[in-house]
Amino acid sequence: MDKHLLFYVMFFPTVIFFLWGMSLHVSIWLEGGLEGAENATKREKLKIYIGRGWGEFWARPGWYVKIFITEVIFHRKLFGQSFYRWLAHTLLVFGFVATFAVDMIKGLTTGYLVEFSHTVPFFSFAREFETGAVRPFLDFFLEFFSFLILVGCIMAIVRRFAIRPDQLRTEEEDVTTLLFILFLELSGFFIEGYRIAHPEVVQAKNYLANFTPASANNWISFGGYFLSQFLRDVRINADFLWYFHVVPSLIWIIYIPHSKLLHIFTSSMTVMADRQKALTKQY
Amino acid sequence: MKLSALSPKQLVEIDACTRCGECLKFCPVYAQRGEEEIDPRGKIQVFKSFIRSQYGLWAKIFGPKRLDEEKLKKFSEMVYRCTLCGECSVSCPVSIDAKHLWTALRETLVEMGHFPEAAKRMKANVLKAHNISGDENEERVEWLEFLDELPDHHYQKEKAGTAFFVGCVASFFPLVQKIPLAFVEILSKAGVDFTLLGGEEWCCGFPLIGAGMKKEAEVLIQHNLEMVKKKGVKSVVFACPSCYHTWMEEYKTDADIFHSTQFVKRLIDEGKILFKEKKMKVTYHDPCDLGRASGVYEAPREILRAIPGVELIEMKNNREQCKCCGGGGNLEMVDQELSAALAQEKINQIQATGADTVITACQQCVRTILTTARRREIPISAMDITEFVLKNMK
Repeated sequence: MDKHLLFYVMFFPTVIFFLWGMSLHVSIWLEGGLEGAENATKREKLKIYIGRGWGEFWARPGWYVKIFITEVIFHRKLFGQSFYRWLAHTLLVFGFVATFAVDMIKGLTTGYLVEFSHTVPFFSFAREFETGAVRPFLDFFLEFFSFLILVGCIMAIVRRFAIRPDQLRTEEEDVTTLLFILFLELSGFFIEGYRIAHPEVVQAKNYLANFTPASANNWISFGGYFLSQFLRDVRINADFLWYFHVVPSLIWIIYIPHSKLLHIFTSSMTVMADRQKALTKQY
Repeated sequence: MKLSALSPKQLVEIDACTRCGECLKFCPVYAQRGEEEIDPRGKIQVFKSFIRSQYGLWAKIFGPKRLDEEKLKKFSEMVYRCTLCGECSVSCPVSIDAKHLWTALRETLVEMGHFPEAAKRMKANVLKAHNISGDENEERVEWLEFLDELPDHHYQKEKAGTAFFVGCVASFFPLVQKIPLAFVEILSKAGVDFTLLGGEEWCCGFPLIGAGMKKEAEVLIQHNLEMVKKKGVKSVVFACPSCYHTWMEEYKTDADIFHSTQFVKRLIDEGKILFKEKKMKVTYHDPCDLGRASGVYEAPREILRAIPGVELIEMKNNREQCKCCGGGGNLEMVDQELSAALAQEKINQIQATGADTVITACQQCVRTILTTARRREIPISAMDITEFVLKNMK
């Protein structure tokens, strides 16, 4: 089965499960009382919040973007508290955001869009993204940002299990989350290494990443290239490896709302709200 | 369990806590007790488990579980054993506004009937006598008798430019009545046209709000607003940071609101207060409701720097990191021993500076520090900045 089709068949239910998980939380948040709208329904409260957020954002969009970058992605407050923790966290956050962005660019501009470009010339740029000069850079940055996540994850594991600061309390959920990220990263690099070590996998189009020029693997896919040196004599079902990485990745997305990973969204909101409150006080 | 006492933002904050434990390093109560359930992280996790059992996925499918009374009782004890100092909010990497979260949790507990007996008594006092001590409210200005010269109007004029809102603690606790006495003298010497509200001053509502009884505070707020309006004042000034903060947050008024430190600083700038030289080493304690809660850090320091010869030595923890004296959040009302232990910590920090005296800008801080020092026979000098200003005025 075409891997693109297979991926989307699995991806859409994943998104639905993810949104459902998020909606459970939103529903609880909206149980809260809203001053001035005590009798409002959940839907009305949501409308009020969206309206306020929209209005406040457009009152000073530049400020919000700046705060999002400096305070949420690069977590300025944490920098002042612990450089080690800041570095680990920033590598993870920045890595994920950047990987997500590159993945979206790749996902949206390749595959179906390329096929579509044959009938609608406007989309011909997609071919450039799939096989043109842009492609190696997309692949490189995906590799690089994934590497940042891996480093951040290892730093977090070292902190939690080796450094063990006094205030840290490790629960099952913390272990699951970290090992999940570690598994996704390692399996991703492994599958890449296997692809590079076995050119027949590329020819058979087992994977979606078929367009990286083989000659450039050593710098584009530096992590996978390193692993490929050890995988030349290893034989594993290539399709199995694909599922081995993709299925857990999708499960991870579903897991987000039900785990501490929810703080990706919630703490972004609390940080933005806090800075916004401080700004209002200044005025 | 209803969640309407919390705002949607506060419910998001509960989900935003990553259990990183940064707050543990700063929570003064946790430093004393060392119990997980008493620290901010622990309280949030317990409440989160309550929410899950009532509103989570399983609760949606199988119906909400009945909350364990024992767990609720224990939770209530933990939530009320907090000084509301807000240091956890300052330290929280994800900026959870914990101080307001704790009062919202207390509101939820009040709705469920799980709150300390002492809070019940306090509520009865405040609503009946309109002050926290339960004394006749007409006696609010009895301390005026200690003034050497008392004008005919007894500082209770029909109309004035400024109202001095004294607050319950300074009005009724003899140990700190020196503070309003000093401030009244400062205002008189500086030629400020001011008035007291006298028996018409009611508790500002802070103790009720802090205990999770915000709705009950509304009647007090409306009364005080009306009284201030009646006097036609343009500004209201407070020597009590908690009253000041409550007015800033809860009172909707057109009058300008000042803490005594801000007002005195203005009088100094206008040349209405002049100082004589005083060779002295002092340290300054930032009251939680003035510093962290209201962001007033510099006015008191500028006053101290304006007095020639005074050397200000900062404590190890100052400004945003200043440790609570133990007098906040109605803690003394529910756990006197714990409150005293925090005061002892504060005294240790004060003594470590080698200063001759500790200056603060809060009657409750002065009272808490001095009471503990006297009980434990620790020789320490503590006074409110108004007393210090008056002593050193030309």
